[in-house]
Amino acid sequence: MAAPMDQESCAVKTKLTKSEKKAYKKQNKARQTLLRHEGISTSSEATKHLVVANAGLSNGVHREELWRLFQTLGDLQDIVMVTGKPYAFVSYADQQSAAAAYAAFNGRMLKSPEELQQPNVTFYLNHIEKVPSQRVAGLDLPPGLRLVEDFVSPACAARLMEGLGWSTDNQQQTDAEQALKHRRVKHFGYEFRYDNNNVDKDKPLPGGLPDWCSPVIDKMMSEGHIKHRPDQITVNQYQPGQGIPPHVDTHSAFEDEISSLSLGGQTVMDFKHPSGKRVPVVLPARSLLVMSGEARYLWTHGIIPRKLDPVPVKGQEESITLARREVRTSFTFRKIRHTPCDCKYPCQCDSQLQQTGPSLPRTEGEAGQLEQQHVHQVYEDIASHFSSTRHSPWPRVVDFLKTEPVGALVVDVGCGNGKYLGANKDVYSLGNDRSSGLANICRDRQLEVFVCDAMSVPVRTGAVDAAISIAVIHHFCTQERRLKAVKELARLLKPGGRALIYVWAFEQEYKNVKSNYLKDTKEHQNGDVGDKSSTRPTQEQQGASLPIHVNRTSFKTQDMLVPWHFRDGAKKQQRGSQPGLQVPSNSGREKNPERDTRDCTEETNLDRNSEQNSDKPLEVGNHKKQDSEEENVKSCSGACASDCQQSQDEPVYHRFYHVFKDGELEELCNSVPGVSVVDRYYDKGNWCVVIQKCL
Amino acid sequence: MIALVPGLLPTCTAKQPQVKGCTSGSRKNVGCMFLSLRTTMRLLTHNMLTSHVKGVTNGYPLKLQAENIKVMSVDFNPEFVARMIPKLEWQALVQAAESIGHLGDLPRELVPEYESNEEFLKMAHHVLMEVEVIEGNLECPETGRKFPIKNGIPNMLLNEDEV
Repeated sequence: MAAPMDQESCAVKTKLTKSEKKAYKKQNKARQTLLRHEGISTSSEATKHLVVANAGLSNGVHREELWRLFQTLGDLQDIVMVTGKPYAFVSYADQQSAAAAYAAFNGRMLKSPEELQQPNVTFYLNHIEKVPSQRVAGLDLPPGLRLVEDFVSPACAARLMEGLGWSTDNQQQTDAEQALKHRRVKHFGYEFRYDNNNVDKDKPLPGGLPDWCSPVIDKMMSEGHIKHRPDQITVNQYQPGQGIPPHVDTHSAFEDEISSLSLGGQTVMDFKHPSGKRVPVVLPARSLLVMSGEARYLWTHGIIPRKLDPVPVKGQEESITLARREVRTSFTFRKIRHTPCDCKYPCQCDSQLQQTGPSLPRTEGEAGQLEQQHVHQVYEDIASHFSSTRHSPWPRVVDFLKTEPVGALVVDVGCGNGKYLGANKDVYSLGNDRSSGLANICRDRQLEVFVCDAMSVPVRTGAVDAAISIAVIHHFCTQERRLKAVKELARLLKPGGRALIYVWAFEQEYKNVKSNYLKDTKEHQNGDVGDKSSTRPTQEQQGASLPIHVNRTSFKTQDMLVPWHFRDGAKKQQRGSQPGLQVPSNSGREKNPERDTRDCTEETNLDRNSEQNSDKPLEVGNHKKQDSEEENVKSCSGACASDCQQSQDEPVYHRFYHVFKDGELEELCNSVPGVSVVDRYYDKGNWCVVIQKCL
Repeated sequence: MIALVPGLLPTCTAKQPQVKGCTSGSRKNVGCMFLSLRTTMRLLTHNMLTSHVKGVTNGYPLKLQAENIKVMSVDFNPEFVARMIPKLEWQALVQAAESIGHLGDLPRELVPEYESNEEFLKMAHHVLMEVEVIEGNLECPETGRKFPIKNGIPNMLLNEDEV
């Protein structure tokens, strides 16, 4: 044995060579790693047990190889390997054997391929008192998951493969047979479409299910593994190294029970709960896996693309070794579903998500409901958090208010937290808002407010000198209601009185300048690789679900739901109301850029005129409702599964918005009798109009 | 500067004890944190409000029923009051003030040349700006629909069938 380090020299020498020093250092490091990972300390005394660094499954070392190496040095009792760990535990019957193994392997690079398959591996050993007990994996299968081993005989398996007619080499493929990126696929009964993860239920494939699978289906039925006879089969063939991404079979496409027969090599299927819990399940050859209930509807399943799987040692379930994958052919049996899914797991259920997502209203009643749920209720729920993000009046709104003389009567319709009510202290400012939560906040600030709807303001006709409607009219969900709101505003004005209206603009880039709402996008999304497509469904026709906007992206549609996220530390108001959301977002982004606090500085430059401000980056002027988006950029998490979790502690609220296109607000105002548009401009991502009541 | 503005906000420093001394706000659901704050509806606001129940033709003025009233000192700005008076419905103001027992010496009719009548303007200022309702109701004179005033905030929201 041409070991670079010899037992005797190690014990005798007091002066260490360079390589010995290195080995000593590495051994120390391995000791620390073990302490960190397992919370156990190595022993300075010789014991029966050893921990061998760099001999773990994650080093690509096989248990069989270790066994071969270590059994030569004594009475080897056990080798324990843990998934994903860079070490193995070796136990001997006596201390002497362990000491011999220590002497033989510590700090020594193993010869490849004679000793180890993996090249350039050096073992570092330490004695330990006791091998930490490993959690037994595989016993607690996800609820609803069953594994039937040896479901078919080798002869039956051979007949199935023969019936399938696939040779191992890639031959020409028929229509229903495709080579996907990660595997080879063939469909029977119905074709599974990978573009929409569904089947064309009214287009069954000719021929139905082939005869050669009938015995298998009969057996599944007669033995009671499934209740309903499958009418669709998908066959997948995986080469070693191929896999399938984690997924839940589309709820609306298939009934509850989905079974999968594995032929050829074994594999490990990974099941994952939305909470993050992972259960790897070994699928031996000729086994049948049946997914039902929670395992079918809630857990994702997938196969990691790799050539080696860590699997428990047969008969010694506590030990894990690596198993080399071989070509595996799986037969998945499913039954087409013809009614919408009504499972208990709506967050993964496409049928139920479609129902919960609101659509554009078709009737006045529906319009009221949509606004009640996705405007009024949301503002009640987020009132205090919303208010805490609204400090700074917008300079041009303040300018408008400042033109009113002493003793003028000004109404702010939709006053929010009342940040404009004190802008001109010479006038009598009367605010109102639909949200009593926000009205209460105004009250706490000693402002004069009442609660009402902007379409029906209980103020005498012609009583007010001026009115403002800032970031309000975009919350009405039909053209009629938006018109009604402008008419109501006009009604309040005295002859010659003026009203200023701000609405959020569809165009967030104007005259080649991006609004702050978009500008901050780059800053916040730096390195964010999520897809930027702004909306989930793009249809805007009636009946279709409203798209959910991705914060800080340009608008793709005019009508949408805009998410409001509570930041860390911000708590929902304790008003006993239900969160107004339950619409999962599919924005596909995971990163949560924190808001830029500079946007909500308390500094207000009320004394500056608009000219000074117009070319200044928007650091001071903030808009009371839409700056929410600027400041609230925590994006939705991608998977709806994580939304399910998220909704517990970090509720997401969706507000309805109709963003206005260039000229649209003007047109709306022009259709109101008795007023004329006297000014219009674009300000910080908003369309703005001043109307005047005719004399 | 502060003295020049009409003082729509009470000057908290000087007026604080007066507010605290007002016991009217201490009952009902008014939380402690509100006690020292002005959470009321002024008669000037009442003068602008009207019933907006669907189909109502004579919804003004709203009858005022006050359970809690507070009187606070607010800085007097004669110009502000003089300019506000033409925007008012004088009779409605008189009625409202009388119904809650705070008319005082305010004339039932507008006096001529009130703009230069400081004594009159002060009385108007008091009724418009300093008498405030914390809890009560506003009642539509035509339908009898009551709009509650809670915590100084009139809730004028209509039900679906009233719009």
